[in-house]
Amino acid sequence: MSEVGAAAGNAESAGNAEPAAAGGGTHARSRARRLSIRGLNKWFGANHVVKDLSLAVEPSEFLVLLGPSGCGKTTALRIIAGLEAADSGRVLLGDTDVTDELPKYRDIAMVFQSYALYPHKTVAENIGFPLKVRGLKGEERAAAVRDAAAQVHMEDLLERYPRQLSGGQRQRVALARAIVRRPSAFLMDEPLSNLDAKLRGYMRAELKHMQHELGVTTVYVTHDQVEAMTLAHRVAILDEGALQQIGTPREVYDNPANLFVAGFMGSPPMNFVRGRIENGRFESGGGGGVGVPVEGARDVAEAVMGFRPEDAEVADPGTGLFDATVYAAELTGDVTLVTVALGEDASLSIKMPKEYDVDFDRKVAVRFPLERGFLFDAATGDRLPARFISAPAG
Amino acid sequence: MRSGALTRMAEIRANLPAARARGLKRWFEPTRIGRMSPAGSIIVYALLILWSAFVLFPFYWLAVTSFKLPIDVFEGPSYLPWVDFTPNLHAWADLLDFSAKSPLAETLTPYRNSVIIAFCSTALCVLVGSMAAYALARIEYKPKLGTILIFVVLMIGAAVAVGVHGVDLWVAGAVAGALFILLARSVGRYFRRSAGNADILFWMISQRILPPVVAVVPIYMMFQRVGLLDTHLAIILTYTVVNLPIVVWLMHDFFASIPVDLEESAQLDGASRLMTFFEIVIPLARAGLAATTLLVLILSWNEYLVALFLSTTKAQTLPILVAGMNGGEKGILWWTMAVVIIIMIVPVIAMALLLQRFISKGILLGAVKG
Repeated sequence: MSEVGAAAGNAESAGNAEPAAAGGGTHARSRARRLSIRGLNKWFGANHVVKDLSLAVEPSEFLVLLGPSGCGKTTALRIIAGLEAADSGRVLLGDTDVTDELPKYRDIAMVFQSYALYPHKTVAENIGFPLKVRGLKGEERAAAVRDAAAQVHMEDLLERYPRQLSGGQRQRVALARAIVRRPSAFLMDEPLSNLDAKLRGYMRAELKHMQHELGVTTVYVTHDQVEAMTLAHRVAILDEGALQQIGTPREVYDNPANLFVAGFMGSPPMNFVRGRIENGRFESGGGGGVGVPVEGARDVAEAVMGFRPEDAEVADPGTGLFDATVYAAELTGDVTLVTVALGEDASLSIKMPKEYDVDFDRKVAVRFPLERGFLFDAATGDRLPARFISAPAG
Repeated sequence: MRSGALTRMAEIRANLPAARARGLKRWFEPTRIGRMSPAGSIIVYALLILWSAFVLFPFYWLAVTSFKLPIDVFEGPSYLPWVDFTPNLHAWADLLDFSAKSPLAETLTPYRNSVIIAFCSTALCVLVGSMAAYALARIEYKPKLGTILIFVVLMIGAAVAVGVHGVDLWVAGAVAGALFILLARSVGRYFRRSAGNADILFWMISQRILPPVVAVVPIYMMFQRVGLLDTHLAIILTYTVVNLPIVVWLMHDFFASIPVDLEESAQLDGASRLMTFFEIVIPLARAGLAATTLLVLILSWNEYLVALFLSTTKAQTLPILVAGMNGGEKGILWWTMAVVIIIMIVPVIAMALLLQRFISKGILLGAVKG
């Protein structure tokens, strides 16, 4: 992993967390606490699932833990919740060390991927359960339940049972149960992944609005980079248990610290062309015929050139950086996605205007603004401090 | 080869509309999707009716016999009241006659014993068993095989000391217990191989592999030694232990099927482990709990062998009483026996009806996902 990139992202975004904390409910605001984890490690047998993970979530910040399945993000969340014990490292809530506290003493609420509603309890009983456990009775509890239910627009369905609710409604009940006791922090484990695409988009906006309104420190786990981009104040990207980069969505998108982050963010993800850097020139391997001058780089035997689909365009053969063959063109609605084959093993995606159409197997040129290209060291995965320059004329 | 198969398939396809069954064959094909074929339903219902008659006839026979006069019983089989014989309430009248030394007045004590023993042991068994089953479903145990071996060796040693060398039971027990704790703590950490939850579960159910008749004499001697023969406590404890494996085995599956998310959520919501168990887990497992309770109740209610050994008069249960009714100076009182058996069945049927409404499906619906 790139420690330099992670540290840089951290320092920069400390300033960025502040604007997020402005505005919103005053009551909740005062309760929001900083949540930090230090040097967290977790093994499952011989499997090192969380590797020396350190993060700080500012008060009222919405932090998204993003990574592919099996990257340790859910385990990290469960350690913060207290459902799993860390093998080493600390979990701090505000100034309190809660590493060895039972979940119920942590003042943290969690929304599960499955919602985990109690099926034998009504909506009102579900929402009221955390209060019932804490000994709140009668009208006091009922009022708090009504408030929480109103916040998620479920006040008319309090007497229903979970089985009588739709997926989106269940999701809301789970949220209401989390907010009813005004915790210091929210944890959410892929809460939208069981909803259909349309509802997911809607709930995403609602979730973001609610977090803004309540101002509760939130850690949100997902493998969906669109969710991460849209929801997060800051995104922490994990791979194989290790932190790859942390920063605002824009930072990690525009300025990826390494090959993994570059390839994970974006839909479709960044295009990669494998090759080498020799004598100030990037040359593609595999017979792609790409040759672009590079500035500020030593020679690298295995390098990767990267560029984003939306930065590139398809043009007439011979007029771009390199030529390729059209493999497929798909109209997705707002854009036409052109997939081209370069050499034997590289397949690149390029976003073109929706009016664009091209025949399969046509020879075309690909070009992108040189300042939008990235270079990585394929062996370490690290970003290279190099940039493309335009070829001398002729 | 391939084209041959294709030609054949084309032929079959062409014949499809005409291939529908005709004549006698139509009886063996469903008339509509989701129905049974006519012949099939005739066979199935015939078998069901036959089997029901076979199963229900003893109950009918019992009911009829309870209304017969002795003469109707001994004059050979008669089946239909008012046709074969005239019903008479004499056997049932005895039931209310407590004053005399009527055969039914003697049933009162065994009846009370049966109720106390069956309900107490069932309650105890289900409580302890379901908690054990829950622990086995949710917590991973790793008992060291070496430690188990030490325990067995010490137990045999204590038994030899008591039996052969005449050491006092309590002294031997205390020494063996202390030695076990000492050895388990000191040597135990060097043992590598350990058993898992599946092994513990199998060990529990394996207690039922042994025929009860093998264990019943040692059990008898045990209770004789502690002076608990012919008491409710002895039978309640024995039934509880004997039925525990069944409860653990059945409830384990029910608990394992409850999504663990629900319990973790309850934990985060602030509930303690016991509260989670009684507020969340038990209500969700109540179908299984009801079925298990009923099964254990029936087993304890009808148990004969253990009761035969452990009770003589004061703690005698109904099965022992009924079995003992085929002797005596008056000969076998079939009509009285029929009445006793009928009133013996009633509580179990009542419990079955009571618990049946809990044994419904779909209780977990809506717990997770959409």
